[in-house]
Amino acid sequence: MTDDARRPTYGSGWIGLRFSRIRGGRPRGPRAGEEKWAWLFIGPAVVGLVLLSAAPIVATFAISLTHWDLLTAPDPAGFDNYTKLLNDPRFLTAFRNTAFYTIVSVPLGMALSLGLALALNQAISGISWIRTMYFLPIVTSTIAIGLVWSWIYSPSSGLLNQLLGAFGVPPQRWVADPFWAMPAIIGMSVWQGLPANTIIFLAGLQAIPSSYYDAASVDGAGRWARLRYVTLPLLTPSLFFTGLLSLIGSVQVFDQVFVLANPGKPTSATITMVYFIYEAGFRNFKMGYASAASWILFLIVAVLTFIYFRSQNRWVHYQ
Amino acid sequence: MGTFKRSPRTPLPGATMVVIALIAAACGGSTTGSPAVSAAGSASASVSAPSGSPSGSADTGYSGPPASLEYSIWGDPAEIKNQQAVVEAFTAANPTIKVNVTVSDWEPYWDKLQTGLAGGAAPDVFAMDGPLGPDYQTRDVLLDLTPYIQGESYDLGQLDANAVKDFTTADGAQFGLPRDLNVIALYYNKTMFDAASIAYPDGTWDWAKLVEVAKQLTKDTNGDGTPDQWGVYTETTDMENAWSSFVWQAGGDILSADGTKSALDTDQAAQGIQFLQDLIWKDKVSPDPAIFAETGDAFEQGKAAMEINGSWLVATHEAAGLQFGIAPLPKGPASQATSVNPTGAVVYKGTKSPDAAWALVKYLASPVAQEKIMALKASVPVNKQILSTTYASAFDGAQVFADALGYAHLKPSFKGYNDFNTTLQTELDENVFNAPNKTAKEAIAAVNPQLNQILADNQ
Repeated sequence: MTDDARRPTYGSGWIGLRFSRIRGGRPRGPRAGEEKWAWLFIGPAVVGLVLLSAAPIVATFAISLTHWDLLTAPDPAGFDNYTKLLNDPRFLTAFRNTAFYTIVSVPLGMALSLGLALALNQAISGISWIRTMYFLPIVTSTIAIGLVWSWIYSPSSGLLNQLLGAFGVPPQRWVADPFWAMPAIIGMSVWQGLPANTIIFLAGLQAIPSSYYDAASVDGAGRWARLRYVTLPLLTPSLFFTGLLSLIGSVQVFDQVFVLANPGKPTSATITMVYFIYEAGFRNFKMGYASAASWILFLIVAVLTFIYFRSQNRWVHYQ
Repeated sequence: MGTFKRSPRTPLPGATMVVIALIAAACGGSTTGSPAVSAAGSASASVSAPSGSPSGSADTGYSGPPASLEYSIWGDPAEIKNQQAVVEAFTAANPTIKVNVTVSDWEPYWDKLQTGLAGGAAPDVFAMDGPLGPDYQTRDVLLDLTPYIQGESYDLGQLDANAVKDFTTADGAQFGLPRDLNVIALYYNKTMFDAASIAYPDGTWDWAKLVEVAKQLTKDTNGDGTPDQWGVYTETTDMENAWSSFVWQAGGDILSADGTKSALDTDQAAQGIQFLQDLIWKDKVSPDPAIFAETGDAFEQGKAAMEINGSWLVATHEAAGLQFGIAPLPKGPASQATSVNPTGAVVYKGTKSPDAAWALVKYLASPVAQEKIMALKASVPVNKQILSTTYASAFDGAQVFADALGYAHLKPSFKGYNDFNTTLQTELDENVFNAPNKTAKEAIAAVNPQLNQILADNQ
């Protein structure tokens, strides 16, 4: 909470609300009553956040300092779990896979959804039907998507191999091939994530006043110049927001891997950090170890988010 | 985790599962808190050594106060129906006991169970996979049933000895009873054998014969370079489906006799695992595991002449309309061997109705319940009386499973099993079965130190 009148950037103030409060004193003046209402409205969210997010995060840290199998009493372990993790080849593999997934899927997903949003931001007849079609993945569960995509990637009868076969490309084993497994998973995830980003971009595009384009045209700006100097700068808040969500979401990738990895379980080519955490905690009775891995993941997300926020002054333009 | 086989994975995102489990646990807790059960709980607190449980008119001998139990199992819809029928018969015989059957898919089953146990709201009675039993028993969440067994002079000899052993601790305590068995055998497609005029497999077969016939039955009918009919199909992703049997047939073992070391670093064990790799990549009579990863069982689809797999597939293969037979697994270089893996029923230590829970566990292994379980054809009964009488005529080939119990090895069962199995199987999947990057011997050499470390950590 702050009294500073800042630019409305994401994350400054508490979920965007600025509470008037004279330092050290009780709220006074005409806005004191408003503050009560503000608290009332955000109350449920705050309670949920504290009980379901903040408390477990703290508890997880406490658990990470123990050896705990979930069923018997925990033993204090200091930072043993952390040192072990940093020497655990499986954890490091999971880290590398997650990093690869994030580095590829976030920019790729954003570029594609931006292109899609630009294409869908047209005044042609039937556009709302076309938009609806593109938004379908958002209401489909990962399980259903994963099952369909596992058929697409099937080495023997899959759609993808048949399609490539028409161009003379020899059949690939996709998810079963250590080289192609992660790209295959990224392909599905990017497709699945497209609509969510596209919606935000579309909204951002439609919020750009047409007078800006008119003015740019008068100044002789062509299509490309208008995109480069009008659309993109004014879309940076949307880009910032979707980038943040994509980043956090992709570092936590789990279900796509869980559903697609076949035959058997996810392998060294496909295990991710969250899968590692799940496996350690719920399969191998190492809840302390899993908690330590969760904290490492949490710190990675926190640091990335911090750097990302710091970068926004340089490239995000609020109107 | 051979039980992947039974429930095709339909996982939920981890976080969702935890939340669901917590909600389920909370709701479960409130139902068991009904007055009737609290009474049962306090009454039975003094009966932990049930010297005075007289056998009543019902064959389960329950004469305690009214009780209500939650019985949790994993399984597919057919199994659920089957277990429910057994439970209905139980409650008909014991009208003072109510049983609520709760069912999950394989993966969420264990998530829910662990969360429930950690939160003190686990089901009273729950299904236990043989290999995973010690992971729970050693953590002191299961009720020791020894006092009941001794108090009633319950005869464990009426059940398959291997299966009982899976629920017995090193110092002789019994923490559960087996409920049914999973046994591995050789399925063969009669239509394909007849078409090729080849005699059906029988007890005289060995590895060489299997490979020879599998080669004859592997056919590329459309000439695209990939067989359309495979000689023999199996699953590579768990030791239970095929490769543990091969290891035993070659004279090797998975663990040392005292269970403290991996026994895989012997020539015999390597030979067993190598045999499976060779079927796929050298003899090419068994499909690359990736080919059927999405579509499932090639034998069931009529694309393989033989299948090495478990007793749980009989009903599925029948439903697929196949003309098939069942034969013993071919003999290996050292001996005849196969794998048996029991599913059991165990009791939660914190149950409020231990007497009623014991009555249910005992009932599940009784001849009358076993007949009902057998009717599904999805599992081999564990009660010797049924095994030696009605089971043989349950379906064509049932006798093969019953006889196999005589030479079957118990699937390894020890604390840390899942960690051990994941580490081992990941290496084998990646480098031996999914692609022949390494020989079995090289893969074992690479992974064996980790396996021994896991065993040492779990001592």
